[in-house]
Amino acid sequence: MIINIEKTNDMTIAHLAGRLDTPASTEVAPTFEQLNDAANGMVVLDCTELVYISSSGLRLFLALRKASTAKGGKVIVRNISNSIRQVFMMTGFLNLFEIE
Amino acid sequence: MKLKAGLLLVIVAVFTLEATFIIQYHYSQREIKKEASLRAASELKSAENKIMDVVNQAEAAVRNSIWVAEWCLETPDSLERIPQRIVSENPVVVGSTMALVPGYSEKYPLYAPYAMRDGETGKIKMLSLATEEYNYPASEWFTKPIELDDSYWSEPYFDENGGDILMTTFSMPVKDKNGKIAAVVTADISLEWLAELIERMKVYPNAFNMVVSRNGNIMVCTVENLTMKATIDQIALESDDYKALDRVNKAMLAGQYGEMPVKYQGEINHVYFAPVERTGWSLSIVLPEKDLYSGVRRMAMNVQLLQLLGLVMIIIILRVVARNRAKYQHINEQKERIENELHIAREIQMSMIPKTFPPFPERKDLDLAASIIPAKEVGGDLYDFFIRDEKLFFCIGDVSGKGIPASLVMAVTRSLFRAISAHEDSPAKIVTSMNNSMSESNERSMFVTFFCGILDLSAGKLSYCNAGHNPPMILTDAIRMLPVEPNLPLGIMKGMDFIEQETPFLYDDALFLYTDGLSEAENATHEQFGEERIEKALHGRKRSADHLENIRQQVSHFVGNAPQSDDLTMLFIHYLAHVVPTQQERHLELHNDIKQISLLAEFIETIAKEKQLDESLAMNLNLALEEAVTNVILYAYPKDTDGLVDVDAILKEHSLEFIITDSGVPFDPTAAPEADVTLSADERPIGGLGIFMVRKLMDEVHYQRHNDKNVLKMTKNI
Repeated sequence: MIINIEKTNDMTIAHLAGRLDTPASTEVAPTFEQLNDAANGMVVLDCTELVYISSSGLRLFLALRKASTAKGGKVIVRNISNSIRQVFMMTGFLNLFEIE
Repeated sequence: MKLKAGLLLVIVAVFTLEATFIIQYHYSQREIKKEASLRAASELKSAENKIMDVVNQAEAAVRNSIWVAEWCLETPDSLERIPQRIVSENPVVVGSTMALVPGYSEKYPLYAPYAMRDGETGKIKMLSLATEEYNYPASEWFTKPIELDDSYWSEPYFDENGGDILMTTFSMPVKDKNGKIAAVVTADISLEWLAELIERMKVYPNAFNMVVSRNGNIMVCTVENLTMKATIDQIALESDDYKALDRVNKAMLAGQYGEMPVKYQGEINHVYFAPVERTGWSLSIVLPEKDLYSGVRRMAMNVQLLQLLGLVMIIIILRVVARNRAKYQHINEQKERIENELHIAREIQMSMIPKTFPPFPERKDLDLAASIIPAKEVGGDLYDFFIRDEKLFFCIGDVSGKGIPASLVMAVTRSLFRAISAHEDSPAKIVTSMNNSMSESNERSMFVTFFCGILDLSAGKLSYCNAGHNPPMILTDAIRMLPVEPNLPLGIMKGMDFIEQETPFLYDDALFLYTDGLSEAENATHEQFGEERIEKALHGRKRSADHLENIRQQVSHFVGNAPQSDDLTMLFIHYLAHVVPTQQERHLELHNDIKQISLLAEFIETIAKEKQLDESLAMNLNLALEEAVTNVILYAYPKDTDGLVDVDAILKEHSLEFIITDSGVPFDPTAAPEADVTLSADERPIGGLGIFMVRKLMDEVHYQRHNDKNVLKMTKNI
């Protein structure tokens, strides 16, 4: 699991690549902390290369979403695969995020 | 038969009985004689008293008149008042006279006024005895007192004046002033009352009594024709025992008391006699000996008859016993032969069922033991087992009834089981086929309770079908009855449907099958061994054979000396295989480390490839597995302890089954409340998603605590 963070003037873009399973989630938790810090602005989670996400991953997403709401920011989930979209649908996450 | 012993028995019996009889007879006779003697003496005494009563009255009547008579001698005309007074004042006196000595009075050379009581009217008549034909001066009653110068009782005589009355007379002389006898005063008493008296005295039916006068005349006698017609002397002359009778006669005439045996007319008679004072009479009772001993003779005869009957009975019984002994011997021989044949039948029967233990020594995954403890005769219990295609086929059954018919049905049942299970893999189908075959030709209506099971040794799965047999015990983490459909026993009705059941049968699980010979084994107080004791006996880890031995001992201890009424059959199957993956099964072993989760992806990938699953489905399976295993790793094992998580995948044609097993603390993930996915981001809790996803992603999720393990089974239909 690799996360590349790209910062522009008005937004923070995180490129997620690989499998966000439980061990990976533990691994990337500090990175997500960074994103939470930037949650006062716009955060884009680019999922083009994300192939898998489990509930631990979703929990990271949800935590970010909560931080964003608290700070008046915005989270955009971009380019999710069909299978991940199904997971989002199943868990109601589709309604929690802005999906591009 | 020992005829001599029998004969000896009869002889001893005869001697004993006879001896007893003789002694008893002798004593009885003696007692009876003593009793008769006492009775006769008492009768004689009583009669004598009564006679004396009358005698005294008559004597008193005369004596009391003597002074008046003396006084009246002066005036002979007044003499007749004397007899008149004697008769009227003394009821026992029937007649009386005062007779002057001839020539005493100048006026009346003969003078004897006679007063008598008229038998019919009771009035007193006056007669005169001074007639020529009577000639009283010659009468005994007149001459004797004068001669003796004393009172005198006359010999009995028939009185011609007062009708034919047998009477006797008491007379006393009357003297004048000069001391010269001037007259005789008399009192007559009828002897009829005496006849009545001695008639009443009859103590034995054939006895006779008599009163003999001082001259040996028989005054009265209960034998009519002897009265006043004979003397004892005359009788003695006719008798064949003159001496004895003469001796009696003399003793009687001498006024003695006595008892003497006398032979008369060929029979022995006992004569008891006693004197009557003053009168010179002798009272006697003559008792024929046959009369005396008639009672004891009758009794003796009865006793002898009874003894004879008893002897006959003894002889008959001895004969019957002798004959029966011969018969019993024959029956015993027959019985022995039948028992021998039954023994052979049982050996043949036992050779049909597997009885080499352990039966599969090469198999490490199965420990099996079985035993039949037969009741006395051949019974109808059976068990059987064999392995085909990695499946253990086994059965246990109990044929209704006992004996040869039951054992034949048992043989048929066992043959059918072997024949049908050779090509059939479903217990219900095996049982159905067997039932149809057996119902078809079951004329004797014998049925069989039967349990058929197939243990898939490679898959750890037990399928079974119960036909009316008592449910086996299944030993997993607990010991309990295997849930069974009751179903009807075999052989009752053709075309019955039998329901098949299934249960996982995992490593270390065991099954204990038995017949009602075990559960219904009774002790002396008719208490049954029962399922509770069976369950208790099955506790603890043992080899199968040791389990059976233990139960055998417990039953034997419980039953004690009570006879075993039914076959006792047991079958113990202990499964010792970890489910070995076959082509259709995959296994993954994980440690309780989160990092190990990544291995699941690989595991799913190979399955997906093999089963040609699409990417999305593969991901979903991966997700579900990850969530489930994560739960285990996070919650089942305490922190920093090492534990294993087993993941088994069973790949079927239309479904995939995942079984996650761990040995951690009991944890049921399916018990968690369902997450609400409609909440807003703020309201959503961070956790609770995992099991929610498992539920959503799989078609069936089932948790079970089994053998101290958490077993989560998830099924996905494909």
